[in-house]
Amino acid sequence: MNAKKVTSYVIRLILWTLVIAFFFWAISENMFGKIFEEPGKFMELLGRHLELVSISAGLAILTSVPLGILITRPSFRRSEWLIVNIANLGQTIPSLAVLALAMGFLGIGLKAAIVALYIYSLLPILQNTIAGLDSVRPEMKDAAKGMGLTPAQVLFKIELPAAASSIIAGIRTAVVLNIGTAALAYLIGGGGLGVWIFTGIQLFDNQTLISGAVPVTLLAVLVDLLFRGIEYLLVPKGIRLARKSAMESV
Amino acid sequence: MIEFNDVTKIYGGDVKAIDDISMTVEDGEFVILLGPSGCGKTTLLRMVNQLESISQGDIKIQGQNVREMDKIKMRRNTGYVIQSNGLFPNMTIEDNTMIVPDLLGWDRKKKKDRFNYLMDLVGLNPDDYRKRFPHELSGGQQQRVGVARAMAADPPVMLMDEPFGALDPIIREKVQDEFLAIQKEVKKTILFVSHDIDEAVRMGDKIALLRDGKVQQFDRPSELLIRPNNDFVSDFVGKDRVLRSMSLYSVEDLVTTFGLKNKEDTITDTKEISIDTSLRIAISMLLNQEADQLVIVDRQGQAKGSLTFDLIEKFLHQEVKGA
Repeated sequence: MNAKKVTSYVIRLILWTLVIAFFFWAISENMFGKIFEEPGKFMELLGRHLELVSISAGLAILTSVPLGILITRPSFRRSEWLIVNIANLGQTIPSLAVLALAMGFLGIGLKAAIVALYIYSLLPILQNTIAGLDSVRPEMKDAAKGMGLTPAQVLFKIELPAAASSIIAGIRTAVVLNIGTAALAYLIGGGGLGVWIFTGIQLFDNQTLISGAVPVTLLAVLVDLLFRGIEYLLVPKGIRLARKSAMESV
Repeated sequence: MIEFNDVTKIYGGDVKAIDDISMTVEDGEFVILLGPSGCGKTTLLRMVNQLESISQGDIKIQGQNVREMDKIKMRRNTGYVIQSNGLFPNMTIEDNTMIVPDLLGWDRKKKKDRFNYLMDLVGLNPDDYRKRFPHELSGGQQQRVGVARAMAADPPVMLMDEPFGALDPIIREKVQDEFLAIQKEVKKTILFVSHDIDEAVRMGDKIALLRDGKVQQFDRPSELLIRPNNDFVSDFVGKDRVLRSMSLYSVEDLVTTFGLKNKEDTITDTKEISIDTSLRIAISMLLNQEADQLVIVDRQGQAKGSLTFDLIEKFLHQEVKGA
């Protein structure tokens, strides 16, 4: 075992100890009491949180992936910088400001929150879609074209399978970020678990705060794992094995 | 048959990448497009399957103008191999090889039989490779699969763009020999891009030497080496061009015209070589002073006589000066 591996094990051990210590403290201090006292309210907040995330992220996937595919086609290449810059704009503005801006146009409520989260999720997916498709070796596309695959067949048989892991990683990043950012939706009346987090902060009520914050964190971790599973299923075996053997040979 | 009629390719309004090329590749002929980088050889190849457009003139495959053919259909009916083989990492070797038959809608049985046949042809065990992925294969194996893939739907014409260029010299020679043996069996019409004179002489029935988009000489390898058209051709093939050309003849070619000297039994330091040996090797052995007498044996192992510099000089005089 080399030093690098040992260090990574030690760090992991420390992290897990901290997490377990935290939960031990939280449970012994009855910090999750709010969840059990008001299970109905908790489910409602959680449901709203999921609704915010799934609608905004779903729409972002449906926009960014096709857009990324479109602007990597030869005939649209020149518009790439324009579209990436527009999406960048959405990302450089702080998430709170995006929410505030959305509220300015759409008023308070669920709709404004979803629009803000949607805008905020576009870029990571778009960037990774473009990067993934750009990473396909040109000779491979050339060989495919030269053998008589139509442009659509080149895209679906060659380019998308090769770019799949990058695209899914982009979606994963966007959704995980989205789950955290959705906690801010409370500020413009969007609801979600942010309600308990902010109430807890304002009232110095740790129990309420933690009952809201920990589920958000767990949700993010779970979704991260879920997407790793999806990645495993969708990325073709050959590419997965090739990457693995390339990493081992380094 | 591939016909080029006054083919020209113009980039950006005035740069002529291909300048008025006319030539014909007969059925079953193996033609090398040879030249330094930037001479237009790859462009010319890619114009045949319409990966590059044709600015002026016509290219015809089996009498049909490629410009009037359906691009997709025509490409499926034309083998295409590139330098870095372009195997698809997401597909198994079988799926890679059978991609064109798959597009053509062949049934599973037919595809499987074809895969087995092709893998045997390129010297790989079909069952060992069927389910493997390209990254698990060596460069030489990948290139063999690349060749098998190009032949999958049995196209009459094959376009090969420096297919063995990325292989190391020893493997390359081996793959070249294997491919020549395959070509003897399948008799495809082949257009093969190379920048390597040795490869061209070894492989081609004919060589088209290009420079600045123009064909400098289109001839059999021996003609190109022995009777270069101009200074560019003679420089490109090298000062050792005549010695190189000797690899195209066997000792037998010399024996049929000039016979051999009688073997002298008094000389004890002798070496025997087969009559099939190339003249280049025979000359090298004489130069190396490996033995005092080089004895030529026929296919039955019977000594025919000895080879000397006098005989080689006579042979060269006939071939080079055309006496």
